[in-house]
Amino acid sequence: MSAKGGVGKSVVSSLIALSLPKATLIDLDVHAMAIPKLFGLEGRLHEVTSKGIEPFRVKNVAIVSLSGIVKDRFVVLPGGNVAPTMESLIAFSDIDTDYVVFDLPPGLGDEVLVLERVTDFVPVVVTTPSRVSRKVVDYLLKYLEERGKKAKVLVNMAYMECNGKTVKPFGDYEGFGLPLDPDLENYVGRIQDYEGPVRAKVAEFISALF
Amino acid sequence: MHEWSVAEAVIRTVQDWADGRKVRIKRVVLGIPAVSFLDSDLLKEAFDTLKRDSILEDASLIVRFKSPTFHCNSCNRDFSLDDVKDQLDKVRAEFGEDYPMHLIPALAPAFISCPYCGSHDISAKAQDITIDQLEVEEDGGPQGSG
Repeated sequence: MSAKGGVGKSVVSSLIALSLPKATLIDLDVHAMAIPKLFGLEGRLHEVTSKGIEPFRVKNVAIVSLSGIVKDRFVVLPGGNVAPTMESLIAFSDIDTDYVVFDLPPGLGDEVLVLERVTDFVPVVVTTPSRVSRKVVDYLLKYLEERGKKAKVLVNMAYMECNGKTVKPFGDYEGFGLPLDPDLENYVGRIQDYEGPVRAKVAEFISALF
Repeated sequence: MHEWSVAEAVIRTVQDWADGRKVRIKRVVLGIPAVSFLDSDLLKEAFDTLKRDSILEDASLIVRFKSPTFHCNSCNRDFSLDDVKDQLDKVRAEFGEDYPMHLIPALAPAFISCPYCGSHDISAKAQDITIDQLEVEEDGGPQGSG
């Protein structure tokens, strides 16, 4: 999660789900619906059976996204309709894994409130080193603290390995940093095949978590 | 089919409510938003199958459709489902029977726009499936509960 947009939540959620033994990845960004785009699942529709919404299965990850319900179109919704849509998506998903990763849209609205209503969770908050991002994300961290949840912070695009030298394109940072890897862009549409440094660092983060 | 998961949820909800009370259920009246277009025959069939061996096994399911009025927040007019029948027909033609609003009625504004001004800033009442009435019989008979 992150109060700030464009920091890499969907990429990070995807890599987290791929790093867990078996996980269901639920895409709660009902407007952007980025997860299927990352895994190359565009245009696919979820089968809806008596057990509910059947996830798309890619390697060890079961994926559920609103785009698997609405196909390829814009989803414009008045605020009051967002929470019921998210709740329905979670409630109807056929989940058979021990781990569930929720990819949230940016913001401090229904996405956070619905998740709290539905389940206890470990917040993984994504930011970039930029002061703008850190400031915005601070609001989320303070809120989570008030709610009694200890957030794990990931600083995305924190550094880059350039010919053996470590470069920090956005300046210094504190906390667990993920590298910037331009090659990752080539894996949009097949992120399950990406084995580069960002994936390795996320796996390191996950083993420290459990 | 979505009707089966709804039937299962209704039975579970009634069982949770009845837990600790010595009752048998005679009738369940369910309010369904019309825009979800759940098939009431399928729903009853699912209910009658899933209710066996539970406190609902003698219960009948009555399905009442709640026809919502939509309100456009942009031009302030109200309209009904009939007023957007052409738009609904297009959605069902594209998706078939298991179309998005069937599963998630709250998605209506993504697919339907105000027939007067074209805005998607619309709201509808009665979007939840509700148990409107439960008719029960107190279970004090010699045979006890099954």
